[in-house]
Amino acid sequence: MDHRPQAWGRPRDDVYGAYDGSYLQSGGPKTATQSPVVTGTSVVAIKYKDGVVIAADNLASYGSLARFTDVKRLRVFLGTSVVGFGGDVSDMQWLDRHLNELAIDESYDDEPSPSSLLSASPNKGHGKLNAANLHVYLQKLMYRRRNDFDPLWNQLLIAGLDAAGKPHLSSVDLRGTAFTSPSLATGFGAALAQPIMRRHAPTEEAAAALTREEAVGVVQECMKVLYYRDARSLDRYSIAVVTKEGVELKEDEQLERQSWAFAERIKGYGTQTV
Amino acid sequence: MAAMFSQNPVMNGPNYSFSDSPQTNAPEGAREHRFDPYTDNGGSTLAIAGADFAILAGDTRLTSGYSINSRHHPKVFKIGGTTADQHDATLAISVVGFAADGEALKERLDAICKMYRYRHGKPMSVKACAQRLSTILYQKRFFPYYSHAILGGLDEEGKGAVYSYDPVGSYEREQCRAGGAAASLIMPFLDNQVNFKNQYVPGSGEGHALQERERNPLSRNEVEVLVKDAFDGAVERHIEVGDGLQMMIITQDGIEEVLLPLKKD
Amino acid sequence: MTSIGTGYDLANSIFSPDGRNFQVEYAVKAVENGGTSIGIRCKDGVVLAVEKVITSKLLKQGANKRIATVDRHLGVVYSGMIPDGRHFIDRARDEARSWRDTFKNPIPTADLASRMGGYMQAYTLYQSVRPFGITAIVGGWDSELESGVDGEVGRGPSVGAGGKTPGKKYGGPFLYMIEPSGLYWGYYGAATGKGRQAAKAELEKLDLSADGESSLTLEEAVKEAARIIYVAHDDNKDKDFELEMSWISGADGPTKGFHQEVPKALREEAERLAKKSLEDEDEEEEKKEDDKMEE
Repeated sequence: MDHRPQAWGRPRDDVYGAYDGSYLQSGGPKTATQSPVVTGTSVVAIKYKDGVVIAADNLASYGSLARFTDVKRLRVFLGTSVVGFGGDVSDMQWLDRHLNELAIDESYDDEPSPSSLLSASPNKGHGKLNAANLHVYLQKLMYRRRNDFDPLWNQLLIAGLDAAGKPHLSSVDLRGTAFTSPSLATGFGAALAQPIMRRHAPTEEAAAALTREEAVGVVQECMKVLYYRDARSLDRYSIAVVTKEGVELKEDEQLERQSWAFAERIKGYGTQTV
Repeated sequence: MAAMFSQNPVMNGPNYSFSDSPQTNAPEGAREHRFDPYTDNGGSTLAIAGADFAILAGDTRLTSGYSINSRHHPKVFKIGGTTADQHDATLAISVVGFAADGEALKERLDAICKMYRYRHGKPMSVKACAQRLSTILYQKRFFPYYSHAILGGLDEEGKGAVYSYDPVGSYEREQCRAGGAAASLIMPFLDNQVNFKNQYVPGSGEGHALQERERNPLSRNEVEVLVKDAFDGAVERHIEVGDGLQMMIITQDGIEEVLLPLKKD
Repeated sequence: MTSIGTGYDLANSIFSPDGRNFQVEYAVKAVENGGTSIGIRCKDGVVLAVEKVITSKLLKQGANKRIATVDRHLGVVYSGMIPDGRHFIDRARDEARSWRDTFKNPIPTADLASRMGGYMQAYTLYQSVRPFGITAIVGGWDSELESGVDGEVGRGPSVGAGGKTPGKKYGGPFLYMIEPSGLYWGYYGAATGKGRQAAKAELEKLDLSADGESSLTLEEAVKEAARIIYVAHDDNKDKDFELEMSWISGADGPTKGFHQEVPKALREEAERLAKKSLEDEDEEEEKKEDDKMEE
């Protein structure tokens, strides 16, 4: 997938030919059209033994302008799942409000689940919708919006547990395409982070052998590589670990141990002559 | 080819049909055509009907451009069973093309088959289901399910049945059919190996005098080997095919599912 | 009641000559027949409790909850006609949701009480409707934290408009009781239903101030609530009942600002203590009577 959300969903010239927009020039009132404006870049996530680690940086870009630098792109759902958002930030906010409503609806059923009676964490009390359920729900929502030609310009990663209590990681994009994998990354991350994560977790079995420390380490490494190479990224990021104990979310992390020494060796893009 | 993958900065950025800035004055109610609701998620499927069985197969790779989204995303589904695990299903469908449409199409047909089963107390016949699937596709003629569907089951006489479709509902019962990205690679192989096209009895003459090799139904084992060979070939030559091979073998005793590894490169 | 049967009790929206709306007063009667509900506001939270009268042995134990969550931080319990209460809850949920849609923030308890008070009052005005046959107790915790707007993406400005006044306290526990007339007040402790008199007498003995040395903690309040429901049940002794309790604490408390059912273990402990306290009282009385006899 193209790493720039602006390009998602666009017909390609080489496939469809240059677009003839002349028939649209009919002088009526201007209509606002869906296309991403303020965007977030990659979200990366990997499964491990007891859960899922997911991360996204805190930047919202306005084209090439680093517009907002403290944007939280990981959202907790019912204290049991995390949704990571790539793509349009206003659509992310819409979805966040929508999920918030859904969570309140869930809390009306006030019988706490057995797990919440055992543990001290109260947020999971209403956790009847798990991450796998949430994934299906969001897939239907996104697919419906694409059918209405009013897409939510996002790619989402959903991290949490399934009904059996096993780690769950899945993705949905603006067309309603949904899939799961031991590791996932949206946007630029699909090209830069996925190869790194797949080295550590090529299969479900390999992912199930990873420890929490290893998984966090891999994700941090991915965030670093993305910051090195993705011009629409930031060195402050959010990272969440989702397990059956709940969600541990840190929203203001700093990329550690950066080394830009490699940059000096890069040649061949600019005007340099040697 | 180069233009297709114009991420290369030398090429002055990717060439999409629209500039990034908002444009045009559209008449009221008109939607500007900017969003392309379709994409191709690659992959390939294949179905072969035998004397008393039918096999549907598909690879499990899900792609988007040069990226592999998932190495395990099944394309073949049991439908019309009465439980979540579809253990009593009698039909199977494979979908390839745009994955979200394929998923939606399969879910709709599954719901219809279930409803039929609850109402009539018996599973839907392949023939009826095949016609119904055509109707579903045709109803969305002007915003089609971008999907190449193949339906498999056993007909009223217990013979293997395979029905293949185009995205707008044109369909046909066939002995075998390949669909998806590597269809053009697999189909000629099938013509030769299943329908014995271009196979003649040795020494039977020359030109028009040549006698075609007699067609006889293949055994289940032969077909399974054929399917594996077809996919191994497709994996070698097509980048969007690989990772895993999923097979559904429909027999009188139910549907058996087999998962085999394919090359992951 | 002197004016009964004089025609002024046949419809809403008609006053009797001495200034009463009989329909409302009859609605209050409906409430007075219902199982006792109480609410306790203490320094670090709110407890709601209800005496759920068991009307049939065929009902599943612990099912058919009487305390409802209206928003994450809001709970409602009521005495009186249960279907009226259910509708009240539906409306309260709609109000809470529409507040969030408009202001992108959870509704303060006071505002919910105000809106629901207004709603109930409207049912005293028209011929075509009857008043609600319930008295509702609304408990909530308004967040003391700098709460993000729903869907907010960043921290927002650190200075300038929209900040809070330094030194002023925000949020905290709130408790309101709304009557069929639409009248509502904020309370430290509220009780309604059949056993309200006994319950109120017990509530008045508690130190419910927010800053007193001996003021009640949330956990103590849970135990008191259980005891009070048991005491109040004395008036209704021939019928079986289940105790249902919920609580709301602040972000640093056990429910993290959410309205939740009191955990089973704590509720059972509270019930054990409640029963013990009743038995002790009985024994004491017996002793007193024995002493008298000896004299």
